[in-house]
Amino acid sequence: MSTNSYDVIIIGGGHNGLITAAYLARAGKRVVVLEKRHLVGGAAVSEQVFPGFTYSVFSYVVSLLRPEIIRDLELPKHGLQILPLESTVTPLPNGDYLAQWGDKDRSRRALARHSQTDAEALDSFGQLMHHMAMAVRPILGMMPPDPTSLSPRELKSLAKFGGHFRQLEEKHFNWLFKLMTMSAADFLDEWFEFEGLKATKSASGIIGTFLGPRSPGTAYVLLHHYMGEIDGAFRAWGFAKGGTGSVSESIASSARALGAEVRTNASVSNVIVKNGRAVGVALENGDEVRARVVVSSLDPRRTFLQLLDASALPDDLVTAVKRYKFRGSSGKVNLALSEAPSFTCMPGPGAHLRGAVSISPSYDYLERAYDDAKYGEFSKQPYMDIVVPSMIDPGMAPPGQHVMSIFVQYAPYDLNGGWTDEKREAFGDAVVNTVSEYAPNIKPSILHRQVITPPDIERITGLSEGNIFAGELSLHQLFFLRPAPGYADYRTPVQRYYQCGSGTHPGGGIMGASGRLAALRILEDGI
Amino acid sequence: MAATYDVIVIGAGINGLTAACHLAKAGRRVLVLERRPQAGGASVTEDLAPGFRYDPCSSDPGWIPPAMIRDLDLTRHGLELLPSDATLTGIGTDAGTLMLHRDQQTTIAAIEKVSRGDARQWPAFAQRMHKLAGFLEMMYEMQPPRLIGGGLGEMVTLAKLGHKLRGLGKKDMVELLRVLPMSIAELLDDEFENDLLKATIGAGGVSSIFQGPRSAGTAFVMLHHHVGSDTGAFRMRQRVRGGTGSLANALASAARAAGAEIRLGTLVTALRIASGRVTGVVLAGGDEISCTETVSSTDVRTTLLDLAGPAWLDPELVRAVQNVRARGVVARMHLALSELPRFTTLPATSDALRGVISIATNLDHIERAYDDAKHGGISRRPVLEITIPSLADPGLAPAGQHVMSISVQYAPFTLRHGEWNAETREALGRDVIGIVTEHAPDFARTVLHQQVLTPADLADNYFQPEGSTDHAELGLDQILFMRPLAGFSRNQSPIDGLFLGGAGSHPGRAIAGGAGRLAARAVLKPA
Repeated sequence: MSTNSYDVIIIGGGHNGLITAAYLARAGKRVVVLEKRHLVGGAAVSEQVFPGFTYSVFSYVVSLLRPEIIRDLELPKHGLQILPLESTVTPLPNGDYLAQWGDKDRSRRALARHSQTDAEALDSFGQLMHHMAMAVRPILGMMPPDPTSLSPRELKSLAKFGGHFRQLEEKHFNWLFKLMTMSAADFLDEWFEFEGLKATKSASGIIGTFLGPRSPGTAYVLLHHYMGEIDGAFRAWGFAKGGTGSVSESIASSARALGAEVRTNASVSNVIVKNGRAVGVALENGDEVRARVVVSSLDPRRTFLQLLDASALPDDLVTAVKRYKFRGSSGKVNLALSEAPSFTCMPGPGAHLRGAVSISPSYDYLERAYDDAKYGEFSKQPYMDIVVPSMIDPGMAPPGQHVMSIFVQYAPYDLNGGWTDEKREAFGDAVVNTVSEYAPNIKPSILHRQVITPPDIERITGLSEGNIFAGELSLHQLFFLRPAPGYADYRTPVQRYYQCGSGTHPGGGIMGASGRLAALRILEDGI
Repeated sequence: MAATYDVIVIGAGINGLTAACHLAKAGRRVLVLERRPQAGGASVTEDLAPGFRYDPCSSDPGWIPPAMIRDLDLTRHGLELLPSDATLTGIGTDAGTLMLHRDQQTTIAAIEKVSRGDARQWPAFAQRMHKLAGFLEMMYEMQPPRLIGGGLGEMVTLAKLGHKLRGLGKKDMVELLRVLPMSIAELLDDEFENDLLKATIGAGGVSSIFQGPRSAGTAFVMLHHHVGSDTGAFRMRQRVRGGTGSLANALASAARAAGAEIRLGTLVTALRIASGRVTGVVLAGGDEISCTETVSSTDVRTTLLDLAGPAWLDPELVRAVQNVRARGVVARMHLALSELPRFTTLPATSDALRGVISIATNLDHIERAYDDAKHGGISRRPVLEITIPSLADPGLAPAGQHVMSISVQYAPFTLRHGEWNAETREALGRDVIGIVTEHAPDFARTVLHQQVLTPADLADNYFQPEGSTDHAELGLDQILFMRPLAGFSRNQSPIDGLFLGGAGSHPGRAIAGGAGRLAARAVLKPA
């Protein structure tokens, strides 16, 4: 398609932007996606940073992607293949380990070695989380009502929302309330006693947040991550074959097949607004692209304050967006290794290397890692989630060699004195040194090392302050408050300008729900 | 033992006595049993040294609703309210002080000296917080609504509440929903730049809670304690002539006048229960007293697990009761002084000495003090809140001399290393005097007598669970319909005829007698 006029322009070719594009194309709209980088995916990309080694540079596991999206867009037909992640192993301070497996009975037996009580509690905990995930599931596919609006339509939507909760058993509603408000540590303390288990489970509650496991609000993030394990299409965390970028590419391929155009190396500098209505975008190279509708998949700060002239926006929105918290706290270290890692607690090869290794020995360990970050330093002994994708997908590295992906917290965006090249390397050293305490053969087998700090995430993907969720998943930034009260319906104050990124409800992870809901909203508005 | 009673109230604290007043006025034959030799519970006033009177547990009676004083005719029973504190003064580093005043113009002028921007923000902030606290006040006067599982009546209550919430206006309503789950640090960082201002207000957000200012829900704690206060009068407390014990005395007098009997020094060791219904209480020594209903104003764990006994409870409920968090974090230090302390930065005639003096340098200082406690220790630099009640109420000390009380946070009930004993208690006292001396060099010389009450002392001597006068921490998961635990927020209990009416019940400590009044209402009008 060579025309320069479209029904819809999508700014940003991350997974949400691509999903919005695919859904709109599927409805017959002429859609173009404009991506500033040379490849699509945003934070879900695979790149050969060093020849022969493919890294899932940023996001590295999948599970949250909504099943209806996979179905609607026929992603398996477009190359999506998920390889299950079988286990999580936590090395313990005493040299032992805790293993959790995809097979529940095996997990229970493994846990019984540490705590019989916890092994017995595991099933009822799993059931509770299942109920909770089921309770939240419909919300993920629901456009947030605006509780401040008195319009009959919003009241109806609010009633539907309330009605959903009123269907829950009171007991379950109360548990859900607890999950929404408690700290992961307090919540897990009600169920388990074994520190290694509790800390490892609590780690799901701190991912992407600037909070420790004892901070209220983290129990919700735990649930957010549980959604994938329970409801996700794969019923477990997994890798995309070929790395996380394959997820994005399969969506892009589906979008193209449905008629959408996807342009890379097309960086948008601003949205063109005429008479309060979006009419197109200006590219950094000076070109203009026109369309009847413009959709931003970028985070709220960029969507409102960068792409638009903020003086044209209502004050309450500008204030809310300025207040919206990003506070990136995660880093990533990707290693190319000459041989497979060998962990002291489980030496040599084994099934555990096809799973995750979690460096989360205790709450105190995680809290101390958080304490460093609170006062502006990266964690000297960080929390780490380690996977070796080449163990499951040998195509990721040359034969016999491996790629290791290390997700690291905490690395604060605002580092004391600012991030420099030296600081980045010091951060990489802290990570490698800590991993080496658990797997001493790693250091001598490193061929290449890529260290990614929050400013790197921001620079490369555009995610403000390097927040991997396009804004923190804290209670006051969820649902009808995401990204700002009164603007959670994917619309904006500028007519025909919409938002579809993770900074909108329900946000976070490779879930795609906001991309889909935004597309539905645009179609519903009949433009 | 001939007399039998309609209602036995366990505990003669403010809530127990308030319940007794309402029940006796309604014609019930009421007996109040108090284990201590004196009525008042955590609101007693005792002799610190000959001629010096002090409030051991808390200098803060909470907000005493005017309706309570009127309904129970407390003035006639000897209650005399002193004007509320006029000032809240923060002392920071480098001789910086900031005195906030009940008079808004005075406050603005004071803030202007440290930050013009903050001074501009202040009036709107104070107004907004006042409005939000006003909404809490409304919710605190009634039983918490059941969000789900209720019948038609419940829907009506909810609708009324929703209507009032909407009545706040769109902006304030959103603000309430946004602010409640926030951390006090986030809230204040959004508004202000001056460290001392933020620390001085922020310390109120962590009052008696085992969380730091960066923890979600602490904005709520600040608002909770702001209920009933004048606009902008943060942490400025209402005082009672003769100390908080005088409120208890007035209530005891009112209760007796209404026909209630109060027995001091009488310990209830068990509830007598037959067929799931309370029939009386068992006293230490074995005597039994019959009644048809019991209101317990002690904490829920003691009430259900010790007095009723787990045999009457569903195992799931036993676990829930055990999981109610009451984690004392405040130590109290009391000093008899030969003269007024001379703070280098505050003139001896300053209004500051008559109000609350807060020693917290910045939010990080408070957070670090919390970090120490989080890792199981006593804060190395605790946050201090100082009052000199004898200035406004000279009867509390001999002429020219003074009594000072200091709330010291964080001093956790459970120490990970060591325990509370004479040595740790004395060390804490030395630390506190050391900190005060930094700001009032001559201070140690003026100390005639001193006493430190650790959370362990508050538990042992005043029977506060884990030394927490809140009985159930004011976390977001333990307020409103979740207070003290889900399913029992309306003063009812799993045992027929047994009602919960202590500080652990809705609305909690900040509202004097609030829970006792609601418990009496529940007895009189069973659901």
